[in-house]
Amino acid sequence: MSEELRVAVDRRNSGAVLYTKGYINNVGGEEIANRAYELMDGGARTLLLNLRETKIVNSIGISILIEIIEKMIDQGGKIAFCCLTPVIHKTFQIMGLANYATIYPDEETAVKELDLQP
Amino acid sequence: MTDTAERQMELILPMVADIEIAAARAAGNLARELGMSGDKIDEMTHAIVEACINAREHSCCADKRIYLRFVGTADGDCSPRIDIWITDHGRGFDVQQARSRRQQLGPAHKRGWGLQIIEAHMDEVEITTSPEGTTIHMVKCEKKS
Repeated sequence: MSEELRVAVDRRNSGAVLYTKGYINNVGGEEIANRAYELMDGGARTLLLNLRETKIVNSIGISILIEIIEKMIDQGGKIAFCCLTPVIHKTFQIMGLANYATIYPDEETAVKELDLQP
Repeated sequence: MTDTAERQMELILPMVADIEIAAARAAGNLARELGMSGDKIDEMTHAIVEACINAREHSCCADKRIYLRFVGTADGDCSPRIDIWITDHGRGFDVQQARSRRQQLGPAHKRGWGLQIIEAHMDEVEITTSPEGTTIHMVKCEKKS
């Protein structure tokens, strides 16, 4: 069975908002990483991942997200998340992701604080 | 659902990519029929996903199958409860070592979180493991935290 993740990118002034839809597993994590690294190579230093349409994640997918965060921190940038379900938020906290990335309750707040207005 | 037999489900699933989603959906459907709340179901399904991934990634079993059993009941106050058994016929593992490795590596390390996620999301977790295989018995109750 296939649970393909889709990623839509909305470029903003200093970065981008990435909208995920589907299961963040190893394949989904790599898809996000590919899009994030393309954006970072293009100069983006602030990325917001909106997980509104992602209802399930696994530990392998989250480990890839942590790798993306580490790479972005190394380049002097930052990655944030918004619109997490309670269980995904809890899983991020268990794995320590919340220590390295800010988690916002909604996109409006995140965009304002990260200066990612359209 | 009123008959006890209707609240039991057994599955044998092949160890293929994303099969954990099939297991999680089956358990989720049973939990919804029992009246379990969405947040509890989400926690339970994430634990099932991690348990199935552990079996698939680490058991090295010859039959390449995951054996699942779900039993839905009501606690004394009619609150939904689901018992889940996930079994593989693999080589087993050292539970203590798996737990201590996690503590040694610390929060910055990226892999090996499955067991910790399972224990955080479920109300009870019991692991039976030997060189003949592993069974993880997990319980999710509506009324517990």
